[in-house]
Amino acid sequence: MTIELQLLWGALALYTLAGSTAIGGTVLARRVERSVLALIVIGLVVHAVSIGLRWERVGHGPFITMFEILSSNVWSLLLIFALAYWRVPAVRPAAAVVMPILFVMMGWMLVTSPGDGHYPPTYRTVWLYIHVFFGKVFLGAVLVAVGIAGLILLRRAGFGVQRLARLPDSARLENLAFRFMILGFVFETLMLIAGAVWAQDAWGRYWAWDPLETWAFLTWLTLAFFVHARATFRLQPHHSALFIMGVFVLAFLTFFGVPFVSTAPHKGAV
Amino acid sequence: MNTSAANAGVSNTGGWYAAAWLHRLASTRLTLLFIVLLACGVIAYEPAAGRGAWLIVAPLSLGAANLAAAILTNAVIRQHTALLVFHLALLAIVLLAAAGRLTYLKGQLELAEGEAFSGQLMQVERGPWHRSQLERAVFSNEGYTIRYEKGVRRADTRNAVRWVDESGREQRAVIGDHTPLTLHGYRFYTSFNKGFAPVFIWQPFAGVPQRGSVNLPSYPIHEYRQALEWNLPATQTSVWTMLQFDEVLLDPDKPSQLRLPSQHALVVRIGEARHELAPGARIALPQGVLTYERLSLWMGYTVFYDWTLPWLAAACVLAVAALAWHFRRKFAAQPWDA
Repeated sequence: MTIELQLLWGALALYTLAGSTAIGGTVLARRVERSVLALIVIGLVVHAVSIGLRWERVGHGPFITMFEILSSNVWSLLLIFALAYWRVPAVRPAAAVVMPILFVMMGWMLVTSPGDGHYPPTYRTVWLYIHVFFGKVFLGAVLVAVGIAGLILLRRAGFGVQRLARLPDSARLENLAFRFMILGFVFETLMLIAGAVWAQDAWGRYWAWDPLETWAFLTWLTLAFFVHARATFRLQPHHSALFIMGVFVLAFLTFFGVPFVSTAPHKGAV
Repeated sequence: MNTSAANAGVSNTGGWYAAAWLHRLASTRLTLLFIVLLACGVIAYEPAAGRGAWLIVAPLSLGAANLAAAILTNAVIRQHTALLVFHLALLAIVLLAAAGRLTYLKGQLELAEGEAFSGQLMQVERGPWHRSQLERAVFSNEGYTIRYEKGVRRADTRNAVRWVDESGREQRAVIGDHTPLTLHGYRFYTSFNKGFAPVFIWQPFAGVPQRGSVNLPSYPIHEYRQALEWNLPATQTSVWTMLQFDEVLLDPDKPSQLRLPSQHALVVRIGEARHELAPGARIALPQGVLTYERLSLWMGYTVFYDWTLPWLAAACVLAVAALAWHFRRKFAAQPWDA
């Protein structure tokens, strides 16, 4: 096994440990925040070295194969979650919701081929980096919102009422989740704009309704719907939480599902 | 009865009704409905088949009316400058996108090395209000290089082009991949479509000689189908042409570059007669003489025109900046970790 894969395995082990500690801390009502954050940060550093080594070896960033995309997304999602975890204490119990989602991505990554892919000429532009950066911030912000929404739904379902008692009330949690959704909304808009600029020069058109563009736009519409519905109907926290879950599912399928059924030039992950 | 007062009353009633309708049109419940309709339209739209554009146009039009009404009547929007700017920019995006679709042009062309674009496109789609100025966008293909990585994977394309600018000065540039040539608003992009082009001179017994190229099927996609049937100019004579060479031009085991084969034969079949031609060879025909001049390369281009592009980009940037500004101010009232 190459050093880059050994480091990746090491990072995944650290993430798993962090996630298990977070879940255990929530179930047992123990304060484990510092340990969880430390494990995530060490994992991120190790993972970053692994990605950097691969980048150096193949001569391009992690944008081509599903393995690369899952790996870089696990890293970026955890980085954004770690930042939120560090800066916003109310987010911390959400690790028990967020980490299992990331475990699924890590498991998926482990069953994909780590082989190299071809870096097409249309990807050799700074707009790729800008587009991907905005996309990662968007998905990361929505993931944090999903974590908070999960706490609202857990509390609503009567699970861990005592364990989640230290958290702010659900209305305040919903407000916090909404802030992350707005952050996601802004960055998804930026992602679409950067993608359109890239597409104009790479393929000679800024928008062509290819499956990835179509579903990214549908995700944007769903977010716009959520923002307007929340303002119009003054949604209950658990209704907002369900909306947030729905947006994340749509965004996740757009990022990782649509490339499997798309044969258009803008294939994204494959 | 005072007639003018009665008229004023009718006018006021009319104004009241108009204002009431405007308020109803501005409803955020309608916004939600139009978003759902647009989402359904986007899913049902079949751009490849060219069907169902109305599925997007209809809800977008209704949405634009709802947006305009909200800008005019919604107190929350009007009281928050950033929110107002965001919604105005959103309306501008919809209107610019509509204007773009009415006036756009998208097409394809092929040029052999040394050939100048004459304004004729092989395939074209355009908006109903497009006023073509393609005949002014004259440039010539001065040759290109395409590198291939191991495994015959296309890398960068560099295409030299030449044109004369409006002041009459000759200009040269290298285009390709992310760099189009922009002339009179038309953006010319190199495409993955390219191949070999045998160049012929047709000298009819009555008339002037004509030089032209036969653009064989795209290479290397159609590596084993390098043949094409075409007609001699202004005749019914069909000419079948096939390029033959044994050399491996693009080696899958190492990086390479697309080039002409060092040795080749051009097989030409006219009726029952078969000819194998080298550069400079001639075929005498009842209507004239066909000379095979040389083997060249052709490049396929896509051309795109949409005058709204810079305005759309500006409106998008303004919209997202205003959105971020609005929510930043709104969220600043209470800390995130409160």
